[in-house]
Amino acid sequence: MELNINGKVSKVEVDADTPLLWIIRDELGLTGTKFGCGKALCGACTVHVDGSPVRSCSFPLSAAAGKKITTIEGLNDPTSQAVINAWVEKHVPQCGYCQTGQVMSAVALLRAKKKPSDADIDGAMSGNICRCGTYQRIREAIKLASNSLV
Amino acid sequence: MQTSRRDIIKASAATLGVFAVGFYIPLDGMPKLLAQAPETKQMPLPSPNAFISIAADDSITITINKLEMGQGVNTSMAQLIAEELACDWTKIRSVSAPVNPVYNHTAMPVQMTGGSTSLASSWTQYRTLGAAMREMLVSAAAQRWGVPVASCTAANGVVSHPSKGKLTYGALAAEAAQQAMPAEPKLKDSKDFTIIGKSKKRVDALEKTVGKAQFGLDIRIPNMVYAMVAHGPVVGAKITSLDDKATRAMKGVVDVVRFGEKVGVLATNTHIARKGRDALKITWNPDQADLSTAGMVKQFRKELDSPGALAEKRGEVDQAMKGSSKTLELEYALPFLAHASMEPLNITVNYDGKSCEIWSGHQMPGIDATVTAKILGLDPSLVKVNTTYAGGSFGRRASKDSDYVRVAVELAKQVKRPLQLVYTREDDMRAGYYRPMAIHSVKIGIKGKELAGWDHKIVCQSIFKGTLFESSIKNGVEEAAVEGVAKTHYDLKQFRCTQTLAQTPLTTLWWRSVGHTHTAFAMESAMDELAEGMQTDPMKLRKTLLKNSPRHMAVLELLEKESGWSRLKAKANRAYGLAIHESFNSVVGYVTEVSMEGKLPKVHKVWAAVHCGQVVNPEVAKTQIEGSIVFGLSALLYQEIIVERGQIKTGNYDDFPVMRMNEMPEVKVAFVPSKDPPSGLGEPGVPPIAPAVANAYYVLTKQRLRSLPIGSKSYTV
Repeated sequence: MELNINGKVSKVEVDADTPLLWIIRDELGLTGTKFGCGKALCGACTVHVDGSPVRSCSFPLSAAAGKKITTIEGLNDPTSQAVINAWVEKHVPQCGYCQTGQVMSAVALLRAKKKPSDADIDGAMSGNICRCGTYQRIREAIKLASNSLV
Repeated sequence: MQTSRRDIIKASAATLGVFAVGFYIPLDGMPKLLAQAPETKQMPLPSPNAFISIAADDSITITINKLEMGQGVNTSMAQLIAEELACDWTKIRSVSAPVNPVYNHTAMPVQMTGGSTSLASSWTQYRTLGAAMREMLVSAAAQRWGVPVASCTAANGVVSHPSKGKLTYGALAAEAAQQAMPAEPKLKDSKDFTIIGKSKKRVDALEKTVGKAQFGLDIRIPNMVYAMVAHGPVVGAKITSLDDKATRAMKGVVDVVRFGEKVGVLATNTHIARKGRDALKITWNPDQADLSTAGMVKQFRKELDSPGALAEKRGEVDQAMKGSSKTLELEYALPFLAHASMEPLNITVNYDGKSCEIWSGHQMPGIDATVTAKILGLDPSLVKVNTTYAGGSFGRRASKDSDYVRVAVELAKQVKRPLQLVYTREDDMRAGYYRPMAIHSVKIGIKGKELAGWDHKIVCQSIFKGTLFESSIKNGVEEAAVEGVAKTHYDLKQFRCTQTLAQTPLTTLWWRSVGHTHTAFAMESAMDELAEGMQTDPMKLRKTLLKNSPRHMAVLELLEKESGWSRLKAKANRAYGLAIHESFNSVVGYVTEVSMEGKLPKVHKVWAAVHCGQVVNPEVAKTQIEGSIVFGLSALLYQEIIVERGQIKTGNYDDFPVMRMNEMPEVKVAFVPSKDPPSGLGEPGVPPIAPAVANAYYVLTKQRLRSLPIGSKSYTV
């Protein structure tokens, strides 16, 4: 079947039950999207499907057909750039493994809501675990990115 | 890794010569070497060329001999060199070291990251390397210009002379590398630091944010297949029958290989490898069928009554206890815990029958290399180790017996083709190597309003038994089991600490802050119970008992000032808790602001005061404390490894939760200003957070927390 990932259409030949994550990582070699839990519990595998954040480890291939899929490698708009800049500025990443998923969730939040409240941030970001415990800085970075976009 | 550190530091220097010529680490002889070698000379300074590479375009590559697993070594250690090298910080890039004895830990004959020793052990070495290279650059310039060395100066990546002009480091690099190493490179006075003590941006921040950083799981090599292994659902399980027909019939399955009591499935992607592995029909012989958490708790409790080995004794505690008017009898129980790093265990192996290359986030790359060579029967020079970024570790990737490395290499030995072994989250969590369960029995005698005696018994499983570091167990006492109780800085005049090492079939390992993870909880919880028994303020009691420990006093005073402790008054649904603990030569104190939400405490705010010597990068340092708070709170609130009928039940983040964004308290970190050399920081923030919250929890609920995690039924008799 054909998949539109980061604006590029790729043909993939895999079993229909293959989660999107493994197509992205193993078949297409886009390793910025991470494997953490395999059960949509940690958010390390977050990508956008038609702009909405989804957990690709549990997202069936069939549901991805005909949709626009964006991975961390495909972010290229001002909101994404503001988030990335803020992440560096606020010293967010430690081990960094979960951060691409965090960024995908944060970008989706800021696109939907330019000035998110703390409750909005809790709502949008609580699906992403960070074992290094970078949450305080993620919150600050989202606010910094938000301010820089106005 | 902390426990054996002091012993290893003593032991190691003299043994360095043994390892200086080859890459081979004599695993079998190591415990003896570590135990017997006397404390003698310092490790000689290696050549700066092995650590600093300057290119013609002035870019500088610094080789970091520690694993970057989140703690920021690729930034902070580069700062040490950059400071003395007098270079342009923006030209710096860091890479992980290959395996070579020049990259050994300065205090032990292995290349390793652990025990929160990276900055402490590299503080002098890395600065001296930077200074030596700076002097070599200056010598090269002086030689080229034919002028005295003393007439040249180096700053910001340029060597200057009043009449000859300027040469960049890049222009001088080739000649500098040929210069003799200066005998005594001159180090800066700390008042002249311009890079150390500054919050330089992490060198890895951008690549980690945009997904370009390469972790072990991101390695892709030509013809690589993905491997998953059936590890056995029961501790110590043996295979009695194997039916792999369904697996072999799957499209994309490349091979199924039984090796020892494991079965590996190789496939063209990770998903098929997993599906194939899960489709194997294996009957396992459950030789630990009766093993359970409840059984182990019972076993540990029984050991509380055994006399145990004496870890420390002050005064005559038995007599003191007899003379007390009131005795507190407290028991604290803490569970087995998994490291649960975000990046599941994995390793990529390329073995073609003649030589081998491996890729992973190695905390002990030299030992992993030696184990690989041994399994494959290769000369160690034919094993190349690549250390990638690690997606967290918290001690897990410093496997004491290279467990997951062995699994992958044994599989590669059979199939002789490039493979990436992937652990699922469940494989990772059930593979063992846990923070051991520990039960403390604390008896405190009070006479009137005074402390009479403190009798402390610990039952804990050994981490070091049967490992390279076994020699650190002395007279039956394992420092990792008693650290934080034995040698406590509290001025306890009548004090005894005894310990029994219990054995279970589960494997154990150092987990971020090792023994302090349980000892601090017992000590600091008991200290608050003592304060209540003595009818005194918890801060006041600690200040009285720590008055002879200047670093602890500095932390308490800073904490008092930052939190406004004396003005904090518990309200109906808001209370404050305090704890302080020293580990890895650093002292961390917390005041927490807590309310109850249902049955769980909600932590709103944490004030942290930290004494860790010279802070190399303040923002990176703060992140270690913030992260330690999350790490410790997750364990307090949620985490335990549960065993039933020989099986590890706990398997993923649903039954081993990690705190999330909506639970994150506001954290304010303050450092005690200090020019002492840096001490540990990756781990010392973990131990005091759980008791600091437990002490507030008591104020709110009048219930003492005696077992973790909160609400666990594992310890009810």
